[in-house]
Amino acid sequence: MRRYAEPLARRIWPPLFLSVVLVITWALVDSFGNVVYRDTAVKMFITLIVVLGLQIFSGNSGVLSFGHVAFMAVGAYASALLTIPTEIKKFTYLTMPHFLKFWIFPAQLNALEGTLAGAGFALLLAAITAPPIVRLSGVAAGIATLAILVIVHEFDYQTSAITRGTSTQIGVPTTTTLLSTLIWSLIFIAVAFVFQQSKFGLRLRASRENERAARSVGVRVPIERAIAWTLSGFVVGVGGALYGHYFGGTFGPDDFFFNNGFNIVLLTIAMLVVGGMTSVTGAVVGCYFVTVVFELFRRWEVNGLGVTPPPGTANLVLAFMLITTLFLRPKGITGGREIPWPTEWRLPRRPSRGPSLRARFSGTQAANEAAASAETPATE
Amino acid sequence: MATAIQYILDSIAYGSLFALMAMGLALLFGVMGLMNFAYGELIMAGAYTMFFTRSWGWLGMIVTTLIVVTVLSLVMELVAFRPLRGASPVTLLITSFAVSYALQEFAWTDVLGLSHRFNGATIGTGPQKGVQPYPWLTQQYQVKGVLVSKLEIITVIVTIALLVGMTLLLKRTMLGIQLRASTQDFRMAQLVGVKANWVISSAFAITGVLAGAVALLYVFRTGLVAPDMGQGPLLVAFVGGVIGGLGSLSGAALGGFVLGVIINILNASLPVKLHSYSLLFAFMAVIAIVVLQPEGLIAFRRGGDWLERLWQRIRKPATEGAGA
Repeated sequence: MRRYAEPLARRIWPPLFLSVVLVITWALVDSFGNVVYRDTAVKMFITLIVVLGLQIFSGNSGVLSFGHVAFMAVGAYASALLTIPTEIKKFTYLTMPHFLKFWIFPAQLNALEGTLAGAGFALLLAAITAPPIVRLSGVAAGIATLAILVIVHEFDYQTSAITRGTSTQIGVPTTTTLLSTLIWSLIFIAVAFVFQQSKFGLRLRASRENERAARSVGVRVPIERAIAWTLSGFVVGVGGALYGHYFGGTFGPDDFFFNNGFNIVLLTIAMLVVGGMTSVTGAVVGCYFVTVVFELFRRWEVNGLGVTPPPGTANLVLAFMLITTLFLRPKGITGGREIPWPTEWRLPRRPSRGPSLRARFSGTQAANEAAASAETPATE
Repeated sequence: MATAIQYILDSIAYGSLFALMAMGLALLFGVMGLMNFAYGELIMAGAYTMFFTRSWGWLGMIVTTLIVVTVLSLVMELVAFRPLRGASPVTLLITSFAVSYALQEFAWTDVLGLSHRFNGATIGTGPQKGVQPYPWLTQQYQVKGVLVSKLEIITVIVTIALLVGMTLLLKRTMLGIQLRASTQDFRMAQLVGVKANWVISSAFAITGVLAGAVALLYVFRTGLVAPDMGQGPLLVAFVGGVIGGLGSLSGAALGGFVLGVIINILNASLPVKLHSYSLLFAFMAVIAIVVLQPEGLIAFRRGGDWLERLWQRIRKPATEGAGA
């Protein structure tokens, strides 16, 4: 019995642990927190959903994306458009082209349907953008995903007939609650773990570790990446829809771009990098850590304790936190590992810098790496 | 006809700015694989320096701006990028985003109490009144119905001077040879004795000077000073650089120049409704190029740089090999 139970329990342990942490957070904030704490918690859960989506793609594939916030924008706009009451839409979207009008205007979805529809459109965009993106890695992928972000932002900004441009939306039902964001977060923690352990996730992680080796054993890297990219588009789309319904529609194109004050692009990437990109635990830990530090400084800015730091300090701290993590722990706080089994807790080792010399001179890799090892003394 | 020529002249001046910017981006990209998004903030810093030194006279202003931007560029390298030497280009990319964000946020805040020190000008409250260009700069000449301002002429002259200067620096000096060697193969260059810190610091200093020049010309042109003013020009220069090919300096410069010219002509000639999407199409082109032709459209690495070939043709093939 034990033979079958333990491996299963080991698999379920990390998502269970993280879920319990989330539920405890929710219970504490729900029973003791005031408005400010509830607001922080809701925002944290929404960003957690986005970070989880980012982790599904970037964490498993090793390809960093700056463009996932674009899916957030699509989710928010699509969900808002489909849930605003018809009477209001008739007055606020006067210039909407007819081919959209005839199905968007009558649509009056409820919160869940709207969220799913918004995420569906995000998934659609992800599926369309997948073919070029999955062929790239490294800086090229960074540039291309950034281009997607700019394109979507520019579209939101300029197409005022559909997005109302820089004006805010009117009549978006405020349906996002602490509980709904918690439930979606729990779902996506499970989804992220299932994906990571599934054959798709395993193949993708193999390609992250060594693309050539993975290809040589038959992993079709672009297809595996496309699956993760599309799935993460859906997850982030849900995050965007929840975001859109939280502020009662007071969102604009700049909410999903490099915006001073609340730079969601840098914030989510910082959370993932600080926590540790390659594990779901890293996404959650990074989200909690960054939120706590960021909010600490923001409260300090607002309330002041004798000495009041100038407004904007929290944002500076965010940037420094990201840079310091890249210096000191490039693999993040968790070192890219999941929550260990209860009996195996120990301090995470410092990630070793590069393979050891002995490993380099064995097998076929030796010739490859020998040249690299010779250069090391010349670096300094 | 006269208006057409005027458009073209104006576009050339506008494109020159982006040629300089794209070249700065390409230099760092070539030497250390860094796509420096904090480059726009160097221009922002230059603009603020101009704003604070606007009463110092033009020479003082220009010299101070160049020095401040170059020093900032060097400090940026020392603080943010040197500890990450050898890190993956993606890590450097994230870092440059963080640096860009930090500098922008710093400009929005009021950290140094600059509001009290400089004639009551607050650094933290968004767009400023800006820098008034000197009257002698905006002075316009009329040549056969074509209006040309002194600033446009100066912009083109400065750009040409900097391009020639860069070419001479890269082809004729020891530093230039080391830089070009590092661009081709950084590890190999180190193996034959090129000092990494020296080359990278020099590259940052050169981009700093370029950014300072761009800041001066750009702010004299628009008069705008704002914390996020670097973002727009950076995106255009970045797209131009990718289109031209960030792997080569001349390719990137030409790409930036052509894109600047195209954007300026489109802005002037197309109805507002159409050219508002120009950035959208530019970035679609970026995706296409990154996927299909990552070397860029203009830079053909295998055939060598067109500037290099031009240079060799001028110098006669007999003396080639100074840098190779």
